Amino acid sequence: MKMRFSIALVSLSLAALPAFGQDAPTAPAGRGGPGGRGGAGGRGGGAPAAPAKPSKPTPRLASGKPDLNGLFQRPYVPNMTATSPRGDQKSSVKELPFTEWGKKQWESYDVNNLVKSGDYTGACLPFGLMRSINSPDPIQFMMTDDYFALLFEQNSWFKVIDLHKKGHDPKAIPTWFGDSYAFWDGDTLVIDTNNFNGRTRLDTNGHPHSNQLHLIERYTRTDFDHITYEVTVDDPKTYTAKWTNTRIFTLRPDWAIIEYSCEENNKGLWEGRITVPKFDDEN
Amino acid sequence: MKLNFGVLAVTGLGLLAAAVPMMAHHSFAAEFDGQKRIELTGTITKVEWYNPHIWLYIDAKNDSGGIDKWQCEGGAPNGLTRNGWTKDALKKGDPISISGTLAKDGTKTCNATQVKLPDGRRVFAGSSGGDTIAPTATTTTVGKQ
Repeated sequence: MKMRFSIALVSLSLAALPAFGQDAPTAPAGRGGPGGRGGAGGRGGGAPAAPAKPSKPTPRLASGKPDLNGLFQRPYVPNMTATSPRGDQKSSVKELPFTEWGKKQWESYDVNNLVKSGDYTGACLPFGLMRSINSPDPIQFMMTDDYFALLFEQNSWFKVIDLHKKGHDPKAIPTWFGDSYAFWDGDTLVIDTNNFNGRTRLDTNGHPHSNQLHLIERYTRTDFDHITYEVTVDDPKTYTAKWTNTRIFTLRPDWAIIEYSCEENNKGLWEGRITVPKFDDEN
Repeated sequence: MKLNFGVLAVTGLGLLAAAVPMMAHHSFAAEFDGQKRIELTGTITKVEWYNPHIWLYIDAKNDSGGIDKWQCEGGAPNGLTRNGWTKDALKKGDPISISGTLAKDGTKTCNATQVKLPDGRRVFAGSSGGDTIAPTATTTTVGKQ
């Protein structure tokens, strides 16, 4: 068997690939589907599309409020400033309105060279709320009139929100997923979260946030099979204005959450290709 | 240097184009160089079917007639399972061809973007590679074309 070492330009094959760094389109319908991604899995997703079918009315809880229960496929959002031509993710901005501090955080972060600065997600540290919502794996919502729980397949994390809680807890310690309370705005569940520890980034591309981050999420189950999710990023230390990102989640009754232990075989970390960052907890 | 598209045959190109973008729970480019592609052909010596990524270990013949031992990262088993892969799809002793990108640390480590199964099917290993796409890349081909 004759071996050949050759160097080849593969610009032809790569030119056929969609531009990716700044705009992350979803996979074509039928392959990754709305909210899905192409490819045999990706890092946790890229699964086949949900079959198209007529939907049914929004289900309701005993209280009459929309029932958000279900396991949902989501678009992977590595770049929250991107808008998909497919329409399942949309940003209100193409360029972020950075403050001087925010711009410095953005320009000093090299997503292609994290060995020096460290990669917290690669190291299996918590992704934080925004990046967990952005992640490619499915999410299961469990809801009663008392609690709304988010079960992330990504790293088997979860967040539980007491729907009777009336405001933020002034004694809460800063955390990766923040301190949340929720209320109904008509048929939309609004979740207001602050008190983040500032150790995360908003998305894979590394858009920054500070420990003053305030997220306002709006969940609207538009029909039986879909939830429209809108998040407003409010962080006056990092951005001069609020901005939003909207996406659509699709119900997948044919799926079940699968356990995901990020730590069980993280060779990238064990072999030094990924390093754990040192955090600046003052910001 | 001779141009060699190797395993990147026309059919493979179609699959590559249809299958990206790929996903990553973290930055692909932090570990791998998207501009340095690799084509490996050899025999599987081990499969690790664990999160956060599956790993395929391959003995691939080199130009000197010897064997180089490679390890290639694939996607997470959760997503692969939903795309029809099973843990038993690849076994020790199976012949395999992998298209991927090289690790930045200079070891014989790759990120697999396409895998040709023993039954001839070409599928994505489903690993990341999509945070950035290089406009051009170099490909090193190892193994029989």
